[in-house]
Amino acid sequence: MKILVVTEQRQGKWNNTSFETLAAAQQIAADASSTVSALVIGKGVGHLAEELAARNVAEVLLVEHDLLEVYTPDGYCVALSQVINAAQPDMVLFPHTYQVRDFAPKLAAALAKGLIGDCIGYRNDGGKLVFVRQMFQGKTVSDVTFQGAAPWFASFQSGAFRADSLAAHPSGKAPVNKVAVELKTEQIRTKPLELFKEAKSSVDLTQAPLIVAIGRGIKAPENIQLAQTLAKALGGEIAASRPICDEGWLPMERQIGSSGQTVAPKLYLALGISGAIQHVVGMKGARTIVAINKDQNAPIFEIADYGVVGDIFEIMPALTEALEKAKFA
Amino acid sequence: MTVQRERLEADVLIVGAGPAGLSCALHLANLIKKHNESGEVAAGAPQLSAENIYVLEKGREIGAHQLSGAIMNPKALAELVPDFQKSAPLDTPVTDDAALLFTKSKSFRFPLTPPPFKNQGNYVVSLNRIVKWLGGLVEKAGVNLFTQFGGASLVYEGEGIGGVITEDKGLDKNGNPKDNYTPGYELRAKVTVLAEGPRGSLTKQLVTQKKLDNINPQSYGLGIKELWDVQPGRIAPGYVAHTLGWPISTDMYGGGWIYGLSNNRLSIGLVVALEYADPLFDPHAAFQIWKTHPFVRKILQDGKLVRYGAKSLPYGGWYSMPRNYVDGALIIGDAGSFLDSQRLKGIHLAMKSGMLAAETIFEALKASDTSSKMLSTFPRKIEQSYIKTELWQVRNFHQSFQHGLFPGLLHSGLQFITGGRGLIDPMRAHAGYQAYKKIDGQPAPPRFQGDGKLTFDRLTDVYHSGTRHEEDQPCHLIVRDLNVCSTKCVVEYGNPCQYFCPAAVYEIVKDNDGQPRLKINAANCVHCKTCDIADPYQIIDWVVPEGGGGPNYDGM
Repeated sequence: MKILVVTEQRQGKWNNTSFETLAAAQQIAADASSTVSALVIGKGVGHLAEELAARNVAEVLLVEHDLLEVYTPDGYCVALSQVINAAQPDMVLFPHTYQVRDFAPKLAAALAKGLIGDCIGYRNDGGKLVFVRQMFQGKTVSDVTFQGAAPWFASFQSGAFRADSLAAHPSGKAPVNKVAVELKTEQIRTKPLELFKEAKSSVDLTQAPLIVAIGRGIKAPENIQLAQTLAKALGGEIAASRPICDEGWLPMERQIGSSGQTVAPKLYLALGISGAIQHVVGMKGARTIVAINKDQNAPIFEIADYGVVGDIFEIMPALTEALEKAKFA
Repeated sequence: MTVQRERLEADVLIVGAGPAGLSCALHLANLIKKHNESGEVAAGAPQLSAENIYVLEKGREIGAHQLSGAIMNPKALAELVPDFQKSAPLDTPVTDDAALLFTKSKSFRFPLTPPPFKNQGNYVVSLNRIVKWLGGLVEKAGVNLFTQFGGASLVYEGEGIGGVITEDKGLDKNGNPKDNYTPGYELRAKVTVLAEGPRGSLTKQLVTQKKLDNINPQSYGLGIKELWDVQPGRIAPGYVAHTLGWPISTDMYGGGWIYGLSNNRLSIGLVVALEYADPLFDPHAAFQIWKTHPFVRKILQDGKLVRYGAKSLPYGGWYSMPRNYVDGALIIGDAGSFLDSQRLKGIHLAMKSGMLAAETIFEALKASDTSSKMLSTFPRKIEQSYIKTELWQVRNFHQSFQHGLFPGLLHSGLQFITGGRGLIDPMRAHAGYQAYKKIDGQPAPPRFQGDGKLTFDRLTDVYHSGTRHEEDQPCHLIVRDLNVCSTKCVVEYGNPCQYFCPAAVYEIVKDNDGQPRLKINAANCVHCKTCDIADPYQIIDWVVPEGGGGPNYDGM
């Protein structure tokens, strides 16, 4: 059986799950007297191919093209279809990465083949390869196998195999064979933009020394501006109780309470927050709690160090003004 | 979006791991084991396997959504697990059972406890613990138990049911897939067993679709419960009291309970029938007010609230029992109306219904025929069991109280001497939501505020239910027409959802233009199903949220 492992790199750097998949392929090959080839796809990735050649593989296929410099599902799909049609492997294995999740189903469908995704292992069942997948969030596993003619496609979950079990090449180095692919600009329908990393969370409320938190008393999204100005004057972060984030007036990451963040700032200014227990458990560790609420029976006053029974719409601008004055004084 | 689902095939798929579902699974696994070891298989009968029984449970773990008083009659458990006394968490046998009549400031004990309230031989238990223990036995028997998976929709096949689709996971608020999106599984089974508890969302679909309702629609109650740790010596373990009267008015049906568990733990609660006239009635507030009665206050003084929860229960009894079999499916437990509303006992009947279902399924699997013809032996088995005997005696009981306490007492007294027949048999009932009177401009009452020690507002109580849901998921409370809420209901009934929901899920907020708008705080939901039952327009559909969401009724 000829096994082809499609590795993953981005900007010349490995996705290390590739090696785990290669280890899986080596194990499958050892069981079934087969050969393993590895494939590197991109542009200017020859050094990665050389690196792979030092492992126990029959050959390394190097697929390079200008249009493969940046990943696109169309580009990968067109190029890999050509390589697979020419190399005629029996099995194509991928690491189960986000990128593979993006293009591999399309590739398999383009070749009218099935794909068994996210496998955690395999078994050799009387000469037939059976793949093992988790179901019900890992509470049980199922055995899946292929019907129809090769090639068969499968991807392995990260961590399912150990990269350190990867065998080195017995005689030094496997050949690196360049495979030419034809790719035209018009075949690629997506226009990749610059790579970006999603900001984890633009704000870490747990580290904020001063927090200005708003609750239902703010009434409407346009009023949040007033609290934001006050927070800025104080040099603090804005946060909120659940209803505010629930309405989408502030992002979820600014929610304090049992279903949000737990914070312990030096100062917690609670504006129009009633103080339901769900909110209080997220902020009762604050060193000083100042609460402003027009309902004198609001439970927030039970835990507040300073309480003001009053209208936040009068107090917020006045406080901001006083703070600005103090700064310039 | 067309979704390709993974498909699995099982012999039996049980939806809901409560007393009914787990008893069904365990009894069936036991029957299969005996069968496989018998000569029948050697003689050519099909080999069966407990591994082909699947149980779905939407709770975080087995027992997480179990809530009951609870007093358990151990009759069915003794049949299912003959040596249950060795390992079951029974807590404590009933030692004293009192029936109390409350007036605003006094309480009277009935000199003789009326027979239905007699509980000798029964146990005060935590249903959560019983079910957790039972779940362990079921897993040990080789059954596949999947927690955090709910049955989202039925797979219709021919004239009946071919299985269930579990809920999609990893959808955001707007129904778009997130990174962790996993479509629900399509689980195919020869027999699907609906053991969802009261007002199951799949059971509701099936009963409506196939017109399975009996001569009476189902009647429901809402039970609200708190678990307390009280000062030592306040109450003896095994002490059981049921209260009638204040603060429940005589035109309503309901009452309170006080059960003593071991280690100074106390189960208290209030049950009201969801068929009252005043749409502004607030069952949670009524429960809080009930706690201020001197009798209760004295017991709770200086104690501590440990846990809170609420759950509906089916009151209708025999004449509300839906047809409980179709091609490839059975309905058991509370979903199938197996509850005695007079004695307030459902656990043993739920378990027994599960066991009889198991026997029915076992025969059907052996015969390789799971059609409704084969499954129709289920109601026949019920007829011949003590389920019939017990429910038949009280077949008109609950209906008697639909016109108030005094006519109810009169009718039920006569029924008691005539073996359940009474003056009218069968006595008809109407659906509870039809009892609402229009508010006619009656102003909304102020909301109940707790004192934080003895009484609590709803949000504080909800906090003690341990309820948690994934926040970014589609709302699982589907209101079919929000305009009805903000234009019609607000005028006619004053939005009773704000009052009947014991978890502060429904809230009417005023938009900037002063227009009322329904805000659904779905993450608070304790899965009691009251909204689905008690909404006057019947436009709320409770559907399963992402698995694992909901309350955590540890010790309830």
